[in-house]
Amino acid sequence: MLAVQGLTRQYGELRAVDDVTFEVPAGRMIGFVGGNGAGKTTTMRMIMGVLAPTAGEVVWDGHPATLADRARFGYMPEERGLYPKQPVLDQLTYLGRLHGMSQTAANTRAKELLERFGLGERLKEKVEKLSLGNQQRAQIIASVLGDPLALILDEPFSGLDPSAVDQMADLLREHTSTGVPVLFSSHQLELVDRLCDGIVVLHKGKVVAKGTSDELRGNAPLRYVLSLTGDAGWVRGVPGIQVLDLDGGTVELEPETEEAAQRLLTEAVSRGGVREFSRVRPSLSEIYREVAAA
Amino acid sequence: MSTDTSPSTDVNVTPAPAAAATTRMKSPWSLVALREVQVKLTDRNFLLGTGATILLIAAVFALQGFLMSGGAPSFKVAVTDTAAATVLTQAEQDLQASDPEATVEVVEVADTAAAEAMLVDEEVHGALLPEGEGWELVTNGETDGEMLSVISEAVRTTALQENAEAAGTSMEALTAGTTIETRDLSGGDEESRFVAWVAGFAMAMLFYMAAMMFGMAIANSVVEEKQSRIVEILAAAISVRALLTGKVIGNTLLALGQIAILGAVALVGLTFTNYDQYLSMVTEAFLWYIPFFVLGFLALACIWAAAGAMASRTEDLQSTTMPLTMGLVLVFIVGLSLDGAAKVIGSFVPVLSTILMPMRLLEGSAQWWEALLALGLTAAFCALTIAAGTRLYRRSLLQTSGRVSLKAAWAGGE
Repeated sequence: MLAVQGLTRQYGELRAVDDVTFEVPAGRMIGFVGGNGAGKTTTMRMIMGVLAPTAGEVVWDGHPATLADRARFGYMPEERGLYPKQPVLDQLTYLGRLHGMSQTAANTRAKELLERFGLGERLKEKVEKLSLGNQQRAQIIASVLGDPLALILDEPFSGLDPSAVDQMADLLREHTSTGVPVLFSSHQLELVDRLCDGIVVLHKGKVVAKGTSDELRGNAPLRYVLSLTGDAGWVRGVPGIQVLDLDGGTVELEPETEEAAQRLLTEAVSRGGVREFSRVRPSLSEIYREVAAA
Repeated sequence: MSTDTSPSTDVNVTPAPAAAATTRMKSPWSLVALREVQVKLTDRNFLLGTGATILLIAAVFALQGFLMSGGAPSFKVAVTDTAAATVLTQAEQDLQASDPEATVEVVEVADTAAAEAMLVDEEVHGALLPEGEGWELVTNGETDGEMLSVISEAVRTTALQENAEAAGTSMEALTAGTTIETRDLSGGDEESRFVAWVAGFAMAMLFYMAAMMFGMAIANSVVEEKQSRIVEILAAAISVRALLTGKVIGNTLLALGQIAILGAVALVGLTFTNYDQYLSMVTEAFLWYIPFFVLGFLALACIWAAAGAMASRTEDLQSTTMPLTMGLVLVFIVGLSLDGAAKVIGSFVPVLSTILMPMRLLEGSAQWWEALLALGLTAAFCALTIAAGTRLYRRSLLQTSGRVSLKAAWAGGE
């Protein structure tokens, strides 16, 4: 398990990351969300040891993460690239070796991944000759070489075409299925919602919300949509019910309690003509907007 | 999408990771160094440049050897009597005193007509014939100056000897007090000073060129990693120190390899010239030169890396490496212009000593302990520059936006 405890980074007057604490359990995929400048990249750099924290520590399997541990973390930085003038296979092999693999093992693994990502014909091509999409695929491969113990990926999906997004997602799921903890940041909230077991929301350097998406939704206010065949204007008069939006026969409402909602439904049924009565599950983007605005 | 790809590769059942665990011993810096060397050795420009330099050096020596190959004088002279043969024997002895390979071949013919016939046929270079009281040197076309002077001298010597005997005295008595010898306080003769100067200049030049070229290569390789933005991936996988060490060692090895090849070509080339008697002197100085070269190069290597790290694009390199290039030019010029006491002092100043100490060793004006002392001083200086260079490198390596000023790099956090 990967954990960050009280991680803080001060730049002069600015506290870019402020006492950030969260966990990435083994085999779990955690989405790291937050606006630009929220401190996600700074946090991830500190996790990788590329940047020294002002305070706090990164804990791997119960002990402060060492250089050797981090050498086996797969990392995709926000600012990424490869040697433009080196053939793609050579360079991935080199990166694999830097992560501690043998020449043969690194070469085999790089080749295997390149073939899987449809670059099997281009092993000997220089990176600068590859299309942008293929360069990004090579970049993805670079981050998972060397049998990583954990994956720290800064905006791994940005700029990927839909098929590469799927390939990336599969690759991440394979890693979590073998117990590797995965932390990735993203602005694509639907994607985070779809892939992640949990999310951490960072705002102005602080963790403002964390948990599974269900847990986060659990904190969201109770809301229902009621749709009637006739006019729904009468709902306004029901005690314990706050109407948020009324449009002809459809009303969005926030009941004070679950019972109030049930009483409302009973009344609606007795009046006749209920088309729909459903709980509104806020999307992650809505939750995010709410916590970020707080 | 996921159905056709995910089952095929389960990351932990592939053989690769298992092998990885057993071979984790290879130190990261050696991988970096290896890559530096590989990249350079597959770089066509580098190979062409080195090849051209080797050819140039070989050509200089080949030309030298060619120009001097006609050097050992060899004359064929026709004579009609034994007196002339005696003169020529004397001439050959005189010639061989300065060049042991010189020859004067005597061809005995019947008479003047036969001698002239041989001259016309160009079978001999000249004919030495009795003419009245003295001699006549007959040639066909231009008279070789060296042949004329050596035969004239021999004629004088022979005549003097005969005249002395006739006068009842000896040649020795007659020429007593006419000799002059030379004594050179510098210890060497002019030729050996010339060889020492040329060899010293060549070594200085080689150091200047290699330090500039491979120093720039280090800076370039650092900035390339920054510009292509692979640096953060590298810095996350291995320590920044390992990255720097690998780069510096890789390029030092390349520079050393190149200098060794060029030096070997030059030393072999030397044996083909008339200066081959200086081979041991030059070889000894060259062997001293190698540690001076390595330490002198190392003293600047980390600073070159720092200069690379302070740039964020190749275009910035010119300004961040300026102090280094100016410094090297200065060292080169000062090194070649110093003389006397200043030269002795300069030969102990780190980096400058790489140029001056081998020169002094070639001249024979430095003792072995002086060379060792200078090496020790350079090593101490290396420790300082490596520490400073590493600090600057670490602190500016991950600053990818714009040039980092020296002050900011020195003070900045990590």
